[in-house]
Amino acid sequence: MEKVTKDKIKAGLEVFRQLHDSKLLTHLNSCVHCGLCADSCLYYLTMEDERMIPANKVEVVASVYRRYHTLAGRVAPRLVNARELDDDTVEEMVDLLFGACTMCGRCVKHCSIGVDIEYVVRMGREMLSNMGYVPASLQATVNAALETGNNMAIPEEEFLDTIEWMEEEMQDELEDPEAEIPINQTGKNVLYTLNPREPKFFPLSISAMAKVFYAAGESWTLSTGMYDVTNYAYFSGNTEHGAIIGRRIYEEMEKMQANKLVLAECGHGTRANRWEAPNYLKKAFPETISSVELMASYLREGRITSDKSLTEEPVTLHDPCNLVRGGGIVDEQRYILKSCVQHFVEMSPHGLDNFCCGGGGGQLAMGEYNDRRLKIAEIKAEQIRKSGAKIVATPCHNCVDQLSQINVNFKLNVQIKTIAEIVADSLVIEPKSPQPQNPQSQNQQLQNQQSQK
Amino acid sequence: MVVYKTLLMYWFEWIALGALVICLAGLAYHVIRLIRLGIRDDYSARAGSPAAGVAYSFTGGMDPRNKESAYLNLPTYASGVIFHIAVFAAIVLFFLFLAGVNPGQSARLILTVVAFSGAATGIGMLVKRMTDKKLRYLSNADDYISLLLVIIFLILAGFTLLFPVVYPAFMLVSALLLLYMPLGKLRHAVYFFAARIHLGRFYGWRNVWPPRKA
Repeated sequence: MEKVTKDKIKAGLEVFRQLHDSKLLTHLNSCVHCGLCADSCLYYLTMEDERMIPANKVEVVASVYRRYHTLAGRVAPRLVNARELDDDTVEEMVDLLFGACTMCGRCVKHCSIGVDIEYVVRMGREMLSNMGYVPASLQATVNAALETGNNMAIPEEEFLDTIEWMEEEMQDELEDPEAEIPINQTGKNVLYTLNPREPKFFPLSISAMAKVFYAAGESWTLSTGMYDVTNYAYFSGNTEHGAIIGRRIYEEMEKMQANKLVLAECGHGTRANRWEAPNYLKKAFPETISSVELMASYLREGRITSDKSLTEEPVTLHDPCNLVRGGGIVDEQRYILKSCVQHFVEMSPHGLDNFCCGGGGGQLAMGEYNDRRLKIAEIKAEQIRKSGAKIVATPCHNCVDQLSQINVNFKLNVQIKTIAEIVADSLVIEPKSPQPQNPQSQNQQLQNQQSQK
Repeated sequence: MVVYKTLLMYWFEWIALGALVICLAGLAYHVIRLIRLGIRDDYSARAGSPAAGVAYSFTGGMDPRNKESAYLNLPTYASGVIFHIAVFAAIVLFFLFLAGVNPGQSARLILTVVAFSGAATGIGMLVKRMTDKKLRYLSNADDYISLLLVIIFLILAGFTLLFPVVYPAFMLVSALLLLYMPLGKLRHAVYFFAARIHLGRFYGWRNVWPPRKA
């Protein structure tokens, strides 16, 4: 690790100097070290390492605050455990705040006082980010998004090829040559975003959502300008980077003149765009909703019809932390599953009390902590096993990745699906009467235009 | 009566009164700082009710049935409740004594039982803090000093009701406790309320609290 310098200390302590409101001050001064949060943390529960108790993650940040900003910390630092922001402290902060926390917020809900531990961890990450101590792999993910417009650095041509391929598949499946995955169309009702994992690894989830849009008769579009729903700067702690990424979506909405921004199934992406980015930019966003909320509304309004009998196997639901505890979307995914599958079974615990899959907080992007990430997954594996389900649905591509690894590592023998895939599997779509002609789709036209250039 | 009593106060009561003034000034500093910093505007589109979230934060959000920290640790939770009730009772007693009000016989009996029960649970918490691996790791000197001060405060409150000769010691320990309160972890007396307001507001804004049935 690079040595801590005076300049780095100054940059780190800026977080305490520039208090935006009373929130950070409150949560840094509230913990009473009762240690009861340990029972809510998947790191402590699986590793039984006292360092990983959530209260200790707060303490490592609060101890630095006390050293520089309280009377007791300045006069008698040992009395109140006030610590210098030195090499040892920084090393511990990196290990605990980046390497031992998924920022799932489960401990927050159960804290006996009400300390927003997740928020303190995020602010601790911001300190480390200011000092240049973000783990390299996580920073690389943010850099890819900043430099290329998506966190997987997918070239536009590759993206368009994938979309075209999915469009053709969808046309074949629906037997409708007019079925399309619209790109760069202005004035549509919905601007839809994707998790770059979809075009890269899970293209079928794109066609699943496109099928849902098709069945609902939605006016929608994707945009090559900005389709990445993720914002890993939320996890790296760099608010400036978060604002740059957030602004891109905001500006794309304006450019595309869409009525609403619909966020793909991504827990942190939903949080970052729905709740955090407006505050990064200090301006209200146009209507922004999750695709889960949109699909639930289609079902409620009768815009799509589902046939439960098409999914006979028991299905359970993994609640993504940022969508549920961090975003209040609890009922919609349940309504969808109950409408689309024969046998829906809850995990225990579930909803606001659900355990993180272990991939949150940027853990999937941080190869440095892979062993820990798979160790803490024991809890989720056990939850899935006990549910007896054969399909695990989750409205988050990050969770899909982690659950897929859990599935293999713990030999669960289940299928992992997004909510859109479940809905698409259950859709009842009346076949359209054959069309007289087969016009080129929008994407093909776009491709042709590009090749001409 | 209070004015009359003030004129006749003993030296240790003057010390306690002075400590009370310093304590209130110290706590007021924290409160005023929090108020001045305020709560930041949230630019995201509100999905729920911050007011309802705050209300839930102080009610259902603290219901032991909804908190793992409580229902998985019922003896500790019960100890904490008894301990805090005793602390509040002893504080009331401190004010009564300072105002020259002597509680009636039955009130004295109840307050004695409450104070000693609180002291007993406090001792239990102290032993746990010293012996439990997890708690020992989390604890610093401030945790032990704060707890010890409160335990002595409760013991002396109980003894003062039984043996008035202990009264000066009760007042002096109260003074020490009051002087320490704004400096160490005991200031959670202020920050607890601020934390629950912030948390309730945060969850309320996002429609997480009050929870709907999952």
